Amino acid sequence: MKTLTCKLALITALAAGPAFAEDITINVWAGGSNDADSYRLDNISIAADLLEREAAIRGEELNITVEGKRDFDGWDGFKQAVTLSAEAGNAPQIVVTSHLDIAPWASAGYIVPVEDYVDLDAWPLSNVYSNLMEIAQYDDMQWGVPQDAESRPFFFWKETFLKLGHTEEDIAAMPARVRAGEYTLRDMLADATKAVEMGLVEEGYGFYPRVSNGPDYAQFYQSFGGELIDPETGKLLFDRTAMTEMYQFFVDAVDAKVLRKNHIGTDWDQWYSEVATGKAAFWHGGTWHYGRYTGKEGNEDFFGSIGFTLIPAGNDAGRANTITHPLVYLITNQEDDRVEEIAAQLVSIASEPRLNTLHAIQSSHLAIGKAESGVDLYSNNRWAAEATEVLLPYANAQPNHPSYGAFSEAMFKGLEAAWTGVQTPEQAVAEVEAQLSVTLGDDLIIR
Amino acid sequence: MNKQKLLGAAFISPALIAVIVFFLVPVILTVVFSFTNMSTSTGILGGEYQLTQSDLDDLSGAGVSDEAITLLQGAGYAMTDESLTAFETEFGKTRADELAQKFPDATFDSRRDMERALKELRTDPLRSTRERKAAAELFRQSILGQRYETKDDFANAVSALNISAADTQPLTEVAYTGWTFTTQNFELLWQLPATWRYAINTVIYVSLTLVFNVTLGLFLALSTFFLPDRIAQTFRTIWFLPRILPPVLYVMMWQWMTWDQGFISSLLAPLGVDRIDWMRHSAVHGWTVLVLINGFVGASLGMILFSSSLRAIPQTQFYAAQVDGAGRWQQIRYVILPQMRWPILFITSYQTLSLLTSFEYILLSTDGGPGRQTEVWALAAYHTALSNYGGNLEYGLGAAYALALVIIGIILSAIYLRFFNFRELVAKPRIEQ
Repeated sequence: MKTLTCKLALITALAAGPAFAEDITINVWAGGSNDADSYRLDNISIAADLLEREAAIRGEELNITVEGKRDFDGWDGFKQAVTLSAEAGNAPQIVVTSHLDIAPWASAGYIVPVEDYVDLDAWPLSNVYSNLMEIAQYDDMQWGVPQDAESRPFFFWKETFLKLGHTEEDIAAMPARVRAGEYTLRDMLADATKAVEMGLVEEGYGFYPRVSNGPDYAQFYQSFGGELIDPETGKLLFDRTAMTEMYQFFVDAVDAKVLRKNHIGTDWDQWYSEVATGKAAFWHGGTWHYGRYTGKEGNEDFFGSIGFTLIPAGNDAGRANTITHPLVYLITNQEDDRVEEIAAQLVSIASEPRLNTLHAIQSSHLAIGKAESGVDLYSNNRWAAEATEVLLPYANAQPNHPSYGAFSEAMFKGLEAAWTGVQTPEQAVAEVEAQLSVTLGDDLIIR
Repeated sequence: MNKQKLLGAAFISPALIAVIVFFLVPVILTVVFSFTNMSTSTGILGGEYQLTQSDLDDLSGAGVSDEAITLLQGAGYAMTDESLTAFETEFGKTRADELAQKFPDATFDSRRDMERALKELRTDPLRSTRERKAAAELFRQSILGQRYETKDDFANAVSALNISAADTQPLTEVAYTGWTFTTQNFELLWQLPATWRYAINTVIYVSLTLVFNVTLGLFLALSTFFLPDRIAQTFRTIWFLPRILPPVLYVMMWQWMTWDQGFISSLLAPLGVDRIDWMRHSAVHGWTVLVLINGFVGASLGMILFSSSLRAIPQTQFYAAQVDGAGRWQQIRYVILPQMRWPILFITSYQTLSLLTSFEYILLSTDGGPGRQTEVWALAAYHTALSNYGGNLEYGLGAAYALALVIIGIILSAIYLRFFNFRELVAKPRIEQ
């Protein structure tokens, strides 16, 4: 826990009679954060310092104490801590969490719209990418501010790819070919099968996907033409055909021996070390993996060994895509509106390009705003620059819908059932459909 | 009430309070929760009143007239005479006049647009964000997105829009953000195909584990009973290890043993057996490992309890049996087992009830996999009520799962008591009558 107390001496010459000293304590809780994500908290402290200085120049004495906490027992523990403390009336003033929490927390009254307190048209919020700002909206209101951006690319091991008969030019052309739908998941499956048959990778290592549920799997649904939400009605969308084809793809991968039947539940540490050292031919992950591969896993030649693209399209109905799942700064409901106001201002200042760049580069995330590419620290980072260019313009997000969590869990359970051979893809889809139509009712459109 | 009784009550009261706080209250709360639609979205302590853009679609279904819906949909922010007057009082005539002149009778869809209009003031600009926010509020017509703490506040706001009283009631129901009482959780449990699978999984899990740990516990107790004391102690200590290890460590050792680069695979690989994940390869693998993980923990408890009750059997009975020419097996069958009825009953019912509700070893090992094949009822309750990456935890539905377990537990206890003839067991020995 870090505490930063900045008490500024009032410059009496400037202060034309200070009205009173204002003491405000701001608690910041960040979920899913490790050492590399320290600027999620530190930037609020820096913002507090700036805000105090601004107040001092106006002749006001403002003392902000920022207390940060990011050691929670996983996402579940973090979310329980936030909701229970909100129920008890002592929620932290600022939380850093998934944008998917906006819908349930807004309807429960745990959070207040940040737009109540800050000018969205003014610097620095005017600089934030508008598609990212939209991700923090719900019911026509701006609830939060994106804290970082990321995207979930498809990776391939270059050496294996070359041995399959592709050339260096093919590697260079991969991002564009995937984007145009010329290289699809089916092509990948063919390549992966060949890699296993040629003995370039072991059985089960042709395609090496994420080992647990997460936004990543919605990407494959999109690859096969699925859409998550109907823009007209704002209802969730269940596309039977896309879902079946997506499940079938994973089943085919198991049958072709390029994917392990019991892959789900593999240890994360094992997974990271294997993909970072070329044990797998194709896999997918997140932009922040760069930090892990080149750091803890010791891959010293990331750009020489690993290529990355969008998640390829699965068929003609689908598209190459990637999902961005930004964390957002949210302001919780407080007794005292003034505290909410200060919290909102701190969040706004923490979104300054220079401050956000500190977080983006330290944690291998992407910029939230245009101006960050003008900051040397950002533009000099090859990964940030290239990933921003290849991925971010094509990224979409999962919908902020109170029932999206149930949708996503059911989709993954069905996938798991088909993948492990417990059900056929058709049976699994039918069961997911039955379950969702009962649990979501009118919130769901089935196609 | 005499002194003795008072003293008795005083002595028992700490235990009584503990029972009420740690058992009765949670059970009652589970019952209450299970009849609600409580979730993260509804909050726990009650709700407020708020109509949102997405609620508008549901309104006609809820019996609200089209007229009222149109009124609600009406412009978000508008330059009306009233709002301009209010603005003039707060921010001065110069500004009000300029605004009226620049945006005569204008309407704005969102607050952002309203604020943009306010930024157009040139003669005497509204410089601070806070002032512009406050000014924009004066022009607000719509109640969409506004939160009202009480029903009355909401009703007043609705009637200010000239919406009829007949529409107010259904509107209030839609607008309420808190939880309401409902039986839909039980209907859901009944309808969902997955529920039945979890029930069957639970039966498989409880019965297999129970058979395994009672039999093994009994076997260990009997086999160590006939061993010399020192050796018996050592054996019992070894078998007791799984119970005293922290679950996370214990399961981690199982993970190391069973994953495809692990101990079992490495041992069998030279014999030409494929490397597989012995825990998650198939449902059978999953169940086997789960029964073993839980069984060893349960067996150690059975072993300790059975051993101590074996020692309570008077040695003279064994001597008498030996004199009568009874072998080891006959001693077990005719001397030991009949006297072990009570401990076996206790272990069986205790283990059934704790296995029904315990899921920590499953959560730590297979987490219900592969493909939800080992998802038991209690784990499903946990996943529903306390674990969802997408954010919305369904407390009500989770409590309904849990309530079903409580009921099954009570029924099973009753059956056990009857089956083992509990009354007879606790009856006073005839000799003392």
